[in-house]
Amino acid sequence: MKVSYFETGRYVSPPDLPREWPVPPGAYHPETGVKAYHDMVERAKFVEQLGFDWVSVSEHHYSPRILTPSPVVSAAYLAARVDTIKIALLGPIVPTSNPIRVAEELAMLDTLAPGRIVVGMLRGTTNEYLSYDLNPKESRERTDEGMELILKAWTEPQPFGWQGRHFQYRTVSIWPRPQRQPHPTTYALGTSAEAGDFAARHRIGLGVSYGTFELMAKSTRHYRDQCSRYGWQPDPDDIIYRANMILGETDDAAENALQRRDKQAAFPVGPGLRDALLKADNSRNIAGERRPANVGGVLPISFCGGPDRVVEQIRRCREEIGAGVLDLSLQDPGTGEVGAMMDALDLFGRKVLPRIREI
Amino acid sequence: MAQTDAAFREGSVEADGFRIRFAEAGQGMPLVHLHGAGGMRLTPGHDLLSRHCRVIAFEMPGFGQSPENIRTETISDLAATMAAAVSALGIDKFNLMGTSFGGKVALWLAIQEHQRVQALVLEAPAAIRPPGMQPPSGSPEEVARRLYAHPERLSPLPVADPVVETKTRSLVSRLRGPDRDADLEARMRGVATPTLVLFGTRDSVIPPDMGHIYKELMPNCHLVFVYDAGHAISTDRPEAFTEVTVDFLERHEAFVINRTETVIHP
Repeated sequence: MKVSYFETGRYVSPPDLPREWPVPPGAYHPETGVKAYHDMVERAKFVEQLGFDWVSVSEHHYSPRILTPSPVVSAAYLAARVDTIKIALLGPIVPTSNPIRVAEELAMLDTLAPGRIVVGMLRGTTNEYLSYDLNPKESRERTDEGMELILKAWTEPQPFGWQGRHFQYRTVSIWPRPQRQPHPTTYALGTSAEAGDFAARHRIGLGVSYGTFELMAKSTRHYRDQCSRYGWQPDPDDIIYRANMILGETDDAAENALQRRDKQAAFPVGPGLRDALLKADNSRNIAGERRPANVGGVLPISFCGGPDRVVEQIRRCREEIGAGVLDLSLQDPGTGEVGAMMDALDLFGRKVLPRIREI
Repeated sequence: MAQTDAAFREGSVEADGFRIRFAEAGQGMPLVHLHGAGGMRLTPGHDLLSRHCRVIAFEMPGFGQSPENIRTETISDLAATMAAAVSALGIDKFNLMGTSFGGKVALWLAIQEHQRVQALVLEAPAAIRPPGMQPPSGSPEEVARRLYAHPERLSPLPVADPVVETKTRSLVSRLRGPDRDADLEARMRGVATPTLVLFGTRDSVIPPDMGHIYKELMPNCHLVFVYDAGHAISTDRPEAFTEVTVDFLERHEAFVINRTETVIHP
């Protein structure tokens, strides 16, 4: 089992911060932001020492909960400050991006930090489409087309044009190309039938997140079935499971932390807007089964307990989902409990990590 | 002939000892189209193109309704016959488009008549093929799965006439030539005609990564991928196919410059 630490650039919010999304930018404290990014680097170095395989970064907008609007900037800064750990961009939000820009920047990163960049291509969270004024109804199609164009931009040897539905270019010819040929290790991120189909057709990995083992197993089963259709079988390393973990010294300590956990999202979308977004983004599914979109709600805890129990849960996760890479948040992002998280990371490195290598 | 609502009129012309059938619609600069190994099939793409230019889609001798062709020996002979057919219509200069097998005929025609062909469009051309590639065959459903990215969105193909199928198959296998034709490829290096090569990203007859070879060989060649189209690009994504084709025919290499205005409100 490989383990990735999901680094969110924790901005320790003062308690009087408005609890809404978007969070008013007037409430931002520049010094707190500087500290968030300083600590981000420290944590990356720390998990590298602990033996984590990857540190992952993501793209989120308009809130301090995850203070990383540009995963490429995060990854470039981190890559220069750690030595061996891989940096996973999970991932650039494809439907709101210029795919050529994404292809260029990722190729550049892969060349700056040879062999250390992992790429996930993401459809994104519905409320964050507001950030770049994307029509939620177009997000699925733009994601699929954008992902295909990124792969093409990395691999075509001659300048080409792209006559798409949502993107049109007459001349694509990127420099640098990725250092790793044909391209860096890449995942389509998502639980939908479409994400599984795309990943299978292009022989790339699949990253699923936050659902129960049972639901995520449906998604990865669909992916593996599609891979068979295209004549190949993915390895465990081709499947990432991103999840929240509450790890304590004992099961009771972890359960107590779970009880204390805020049952509401840190910065929820208001009810009127939430309903409108749910209505607009109605194509979400898990392996073809309709599901409501996520509009910034509270995310579940998939692993909870002391080291023994968590090791057992990870074993079960591997058996059911088939994931060979765990991408973990220890304690919730957005809670400000950085001390508790550092303790949990340390504990994970000492008591869990050595025991899950053989899983 | 089906799948179009434009007013294509049918005609025929005598050339090189053959009576050659064609369908024609539209005004302006002639665009001569040479079909693929399955024979002439008018598509929504023809329909859209005919709003911009004079489309003349030939049925090459030996295909479709025409009598069996046992006389044409090579694909360059077939190209010479088709050039004669264009001349017989009183047309000197023209744009030329070839689909799949017809793309290889069109390349030969552009080599032979380089002063007459103003621009060349190759839709999923079959002039360069991976080893062992075979044209689609089998039931209409099997053929549709090879030709189209989304056959479920189209009306079913008609059942092929076995007589037509037999005579076409023997003609194509005689003329299609080797997967990599050294003589043709050497000549392609001398084709200065502005050339647009189109491949659908979901082509399952000719892999779209054959496209870059045309660009490497031909000095004035542009390669464009039509997203989510199969081998029959002009059927799968007729609007996208027509937009890039018409733009290229009008502007040649300058077609890479975007003219779209992006002002949201003045």
